[in-house]
Amino acid sequence: MERTGADIRFHDVSVTYPNGFTGLKDINLNIPAGEMVGIVGLSGAGKSTLVRTINGLVPITSGQITVGEHQLNGRGSAQLRGRELRELRSNVGMVFQSFNLAKRTTVINNVLMGRLYHSPAWRTLLGAWRDDDVELAMSALERVEIVSKAYEKASSLSGGQQQRVAIARTLAQRPMVILADEPVASLDPPTSHVVMRDLQRINAELGITVVVNLHFLDLARRYSDRLIGLRSGEVVFDGAGADADESVFENIYGRSLTAEDVLSSKGTL
Amino acid sequence: MSGAGAPGFMLAPGTARPIKPRRGTMTGAAVVLLAAITVWAGIGVQVDLPAIAANWRNATSNIVQLLQPDYGFFPKTVPALLETLQMAVIATAVGAAISLPLAFLASRATNPKPKLLAGVRFVMNMVRSVPDILYAAILVAVVGVGALSGIMALVLFNIGIIVKLVSESLDGEDLGAQEAALATGGSWPKANRVAMLPQILPSFASQVLYTFELNIRASTVIGLVGAGGLGILIDNVRSFFRYHELSLIILEILVLVLVLESASSWLRKKLV
Ligand SMILES: Nc1ncnc2c1ncn2[C@@H]1O[C@H](COP(=O)(O)OP(=O)(O)O)[C@@H](O)[C@H]1O
Ligand SMILES: [Mg+2]
Repeated sequence: MERTGADIRFHDVSVTYPNGFTGLKDINLNIPAGEMVGIVGLSGAGKSTLVRTINGLVPITSGQITVGEHQLNGRGSAQLRGRELRELRSNVGMVFQSFNLAKRTTVINNVLMGRLYHSPAWRTLLGAWRDDDVELAMSALERVEIVSKAYEKASSLSGGQQQRVAIARTLAQRPMVILADEPVASLDPPTSHVVMRDLQRINAELGITVVVNLHFLDLARRYSDRLIGLRSGEVVFDGAGADADESVFENIYGRSLTAEDVLSSKGTL
Repeated sequence: MSGAGAPGFMLAPGTARPIKPRRGTMTGAAVVLLAAITVWAGIGVQVDLPAIAANWRNATSNIVQLLQPDYGFFPKTVPALLETLQMAVIATAVGAAISLPLAFLASRATNPKPKLLAGVRFVMNMVRSVPDILYAAILVAVVGVGALSGIMALVLFNIGIIVKLVSESLDGEDLGAQEAALATGGSWPKANRVAMLPQILPSFASQVLYTFELNIRASTVIGLVGAGGLGILIDNVRSFFRYHELSLIILEILVLVLVLESASSWLRKKLV
């Protein structure tokens, strides 16, 4: 699975939703290849919006985003669509809060979704995957240590295992970037650490750029090289995790911190 | 919790309570309306109570004959009985195969093209609005008397039902897996295949069995207009007033429907 990460650049990016609500305001960011970036902010600050612009799930209104050699433009400029958009997406994996697996089918079938872009339509239709694709999916499962569950139904797995299947699905894409939108928000504390360590290991060993939205500040500090704080769609902090102390977080949140803002049962950062 | 007893729990009455919605008057109005429609319908089809009473004497002798099936007639009904079964099986299989892709085109969840969606839904509503016996009558006129017309009529009938029920299951499905499949760079058809199809397969199988049950019954009725199976036989013996034989056919249909329906509903329970 040798492949290096891609740079992600935001240039004056704004997102206005169809109802007129401004989700992101003039975002400028430069995320170098291979970095692990945590994004923090209150609920509604625009974290999901930010990561979803990177794979075009949320179209940007103005500005530009470049992901490796792909470029996403605001309204009025050439739009990435059809096959070009799918090619970008094939290089960007995404992990969701609620795992987003097809629960009634097997684990391996879920991981094979990561090969959709490369698999011919007739093979996909018949479910006749290439041997290489199956092998790639198996080794992705191996990397998150659940290859033994390959032929089990996804619904029979625990939450933590389901999220690792979802991570394996992104690995099967052989991605340059992995986006994770609150990947541990539905998991208990020990499992949260397992999943975060998986992401960290993937970032370190494969050099994949990882952008992860996190609700818990202690997790964000512990697992990311760099923290970006969002407030009302604007970047209000951008620096090393170690530099983010309580006063920084209070500025990002616009209020004092509570026990709910951290995962640790001690209730401190 | 003895909340009401605790001091300070009860607030001053009459503040900011929602008003109980008055369903009573609506129900009353609905009952009156239904009664009025029923009376209107009765007048419309000219329910003639004295005539019913007069015919009754005739009817009793027929009923007596109907209670005495002619079992000796059984061998002659076998080919028609088998044809009815075959029609139902073939029409269910063909209808299911055509319906599956159409259901994906007819659901908002799986078809992102609004115009195509509206078009498919419009055609499907048309297909469903024609009763099966009418399809049979038209097809007998066009294709000719026999099982082929019956099968074609049942296929159209099945497409109408299966597409509607399966596209509704698709509408109700969680879209998380589909979003994930699209996010990996999959096209809509591919994402629907890997993320949505496995989710609705059990409900699809169950709907197909259900239409099979309907087809067993429907295939006997559409035969009356010449579209093959037991229905043609019914039409023959009835027009010659051979009620003992008619009685046997009705008994056969009863047994067939009961056996197949219970088998099918047993299977369906296993599915979901
Ligand atoms: N499709 C949408 N249409 C309108 N407003 C939206 C839409 N999606 C998100 N928003 C709004 O944009 C803001 C940011 O949302 P989001 O990016 O989901 O925040 P976060 O992930 O930080 O909780 C919220 O106020 C939300 O209500
Ligand atoms: Mg969010």
